Amino acid sequence: MTAPNWLKIERRPVASGRTVFIISVLAILAALLVAAIFFAAYGISPIYAYYLILRGALGNMHGFSETIRRMIPLLLCGVGLTVAFRALFWNIGAEGQILMGAIAASGVALFSGLPGPLLLIAMFIAGFLAGAAWGLIPAALKAKLGLNDVITTLMLNYVAMYVVLWLVHGPWKGASMRGYAYTDMFPNAAQLPMIGSTSIHWPTLMLGFIAAVVMYILVNRTRSGFEIRVVGENPEASRFAGISQFKTTMLVMFISGGLAGFAGVGEVAGIYHRLLDPSQISMGYGFTAIIVAWLARKNPLAVIVTSFFFGILMAGGDVIKIQLRLPFQLINVFNGLIMFFLIGSELLIRYKISIRRR
Amino acid sequence: MRNRLALVGLMVLVMVASMVAVGIAAEYVPGSPLKAGFIYIGPIGDYGWSHAHDVARKAVLEQFPWLSTVYVESVPEGDAGPTIDKLINDEHCNVIFTTSFGYMDDTIAAAKKHPDVIFAHCSGFKRAPNVATYMADFYQVYYLNGLMAGALTKTGKVGYVGAFPIPEVKRHIGAFTRGVREVNPDAQVDVRWIMEWFNPAAAKEATEALIADGCDAFAFTEDSPTVVQVAGENGLLSFAHYSPMYRFSKDYCVSGELVHWDAIYADFLAKIYAGVYTAHNLANVDYWWLLGQGAVEMGAQPGMPINPAYVDKLKAVTVDDPVLGTVSVYDLIQDRIAEMSDPSMVFDPYDGPVKDRKGNVQVKAGSRMSVLQLTTMEWAVEGIIGPWPGEP
Repeated sequence: MTAPNWLKIERRPVASGRTVFIISVLAILAALLVAAIFFAAYGISPIYAYYLILRGALGNMHGFSETIRRMIPLLLCGVGLTVAFRALFWNIGAEGQILMGAIAASGVALFSGLPGPLLLIAMFIAGFLAGAAWGLIPAALKAKLGLNDVITTLMLNYVAMYVVLWLVHGPWKGASMRGYAYTDMFPNAAQLPMIGSTSIHWPTLMLGFIAAVVMYILVNRTRSGFEIRVVGENPEASRFAGISQFKTTMLVMFISGGLAGFAGVGEVAGIYHRLLDPSQISMGYGFTAIIVAWLARKNPLAVIVTSFFFGILMAGGDVIKIQLRLPFQLINVFNGLIMFFLIGSELLIRYKISIRRR
Repeated sequence: MRNRLALVGLMVLVMVASMVAVGIAAEYVPGSPLKAGFIYIGPIGDYGWSHAHDVARKAVLEQFPWLSTVYVESVPEGDAGPTIDKLINDEHCNVIFTTSFGYMDDTIAAAKKHPDVIFAHCSGFKRAPNVATYMADFYQVYYLNGLMAGALTKTGKVGYVGAFPIPEVKRHIGAFTRGVREVNPDAQVDVRWIMEWFNPAAAKEATEALIADGCDAFAFTEDSPTVVQVAGENGLLSFAHYSPMYRFSKDYCVSGELVHWDAIYADFLAKIYAGVYTAHNLANVDYWWLLGQGAVEMGAQPGMPINPAYVDKLKAVTVDDPVLGTVSVYDLIQDRIAEMSDPSMVFDPYDGPVKDRKGNVQVKAGSRMSVLQLTTMEWAVEGIIGPWPGEP
């Protein structure tokens, strides 16, 4: 592709934080603008629709609680994904890692018999390890055999889904559920505390904030973080510098899978209090988190903001359904458009485009 | 500064006032306009469960001038509580219908939180003073379809594509098999599970696998017309499920099961309007509605119980019934419909003796399965082959 000669395209050395921020905001605005066409096509004023979404998601305690509830898994998965993406490992498998975390937590909750507070701690540890283990499989396959990480992580999602299905229809089917595909309810000690009467399970939220800070420090201030970045930005150089690609890949996926596992623990211990149909456990958090991490430009701290933003969109989806009577799929259209414009805007971050003066 | 303080004070006041206003939602007064909210687990655009509930919602909406409705589709189980709150607080619904088993605990919790609102939960078993339960069940209709399949199969193998191995589906396959074997004692019903409520691709694969195994008639539980279409393309018989599917295979779709949730909704809402049901007397209200109450119907489309192309064929096949003597399958079906529609339910597909496929007697001669036994049924009726997860 050759640009017309009145356009000047230059490579930017490094885009400043401010430029990245402005370009990201513009990308979101562009997505909202295109989505507005859909609202208009349904005969609804887009401005009114966006006002309703914002009001529904933030205008009262109830909406705010729903926004935060959805932010929690997005934050945990999103932070993990930024680390994986930094090392150029394309983890499309957070959804499956969430499910493995949920399975491990459910197993501990139902069958370990651990007492009181120990139980929840054990559930989180088990959930982290299960998610991490699920993430290490594609990591090892890539580092040792060169298998494509996009394919392996994506496919393992389905394996995890079927493991959950098998468990709830088979060995773990609850005696008190009259044949329906659920495990029994967790004991009280295995249920996460909430903030007041909201559905915000705060221990998981705290873990999310801590993870964001720790990962920011890890990536930017430590030797491992340096290695992660070098592997991601210049794999050739990393080899000359003697950085182990295997170790780095395994490390990022241990973290990424583990944090997604945490998210799975939060969903079953905080919201459902039992293991159930996989499509109900996660609602696509693992996939939405990819956009969350991308919008954060792979910065773990920025995920706090972007996961909150997508929390608003998801909670606002209820408004679309109930008040506007629009098809719920419109939220997916939103997500798709934002991803589309974000990837499109990559070009603007790497290149500076201006009009050539004669 | 003072202005700003005053503003903040005013905002707090407004918030508190609105919370109080929400908290004292008044109880429904019989005879006044009534608003009902429906919560659906799936999209209303398919041919399945949620679609059928929405068709019923529109039907009662047309029937009752005092009724207004609002619905929410594709509500994940985890969102049931907040969605109920929204329907009550923002939409001011007097009655809430939660139409999936997974909403059960959230419905009970919401009912405690909103003691003046009337709830009805579909397919569950927990009730409260302001929570009724309801279910329209197909097992009798599956039995009737089974009689036809047994009469019409040439290979003696009938295929069944099942969604999930849960009691509801197992009960339906069992009743279907009872029908098949009543006419054709050596016939078998071969089952494949697709582990999904809606998955046309998997349903197609399962149907093709069953065709390869020699099945020539098909019944199923899946929310699309796929099985009817695939069977039709191969010139094989099928029985529609849940929605009218005759038009997808006019030459080969013999009959099917149709649901009329509106029968239940109309009865329940009319009784609330009349003041019979209130938010205090529902603890024992459980609708378990079958053929007799008009909640279900036999046919591939309304008003066509049996595809006319197959009426003569069914009249040509005869069976020896201990009570009715030698009758054609067509007449047997008419008799059974009359018997099952009778208020005293003279006949039930699960009248004993019934053996499971391992040879154990599950229902003794002279007895009949209770509703609880039917809704928790895990065993496989004699004559079923194929995998059966959770088989006792």
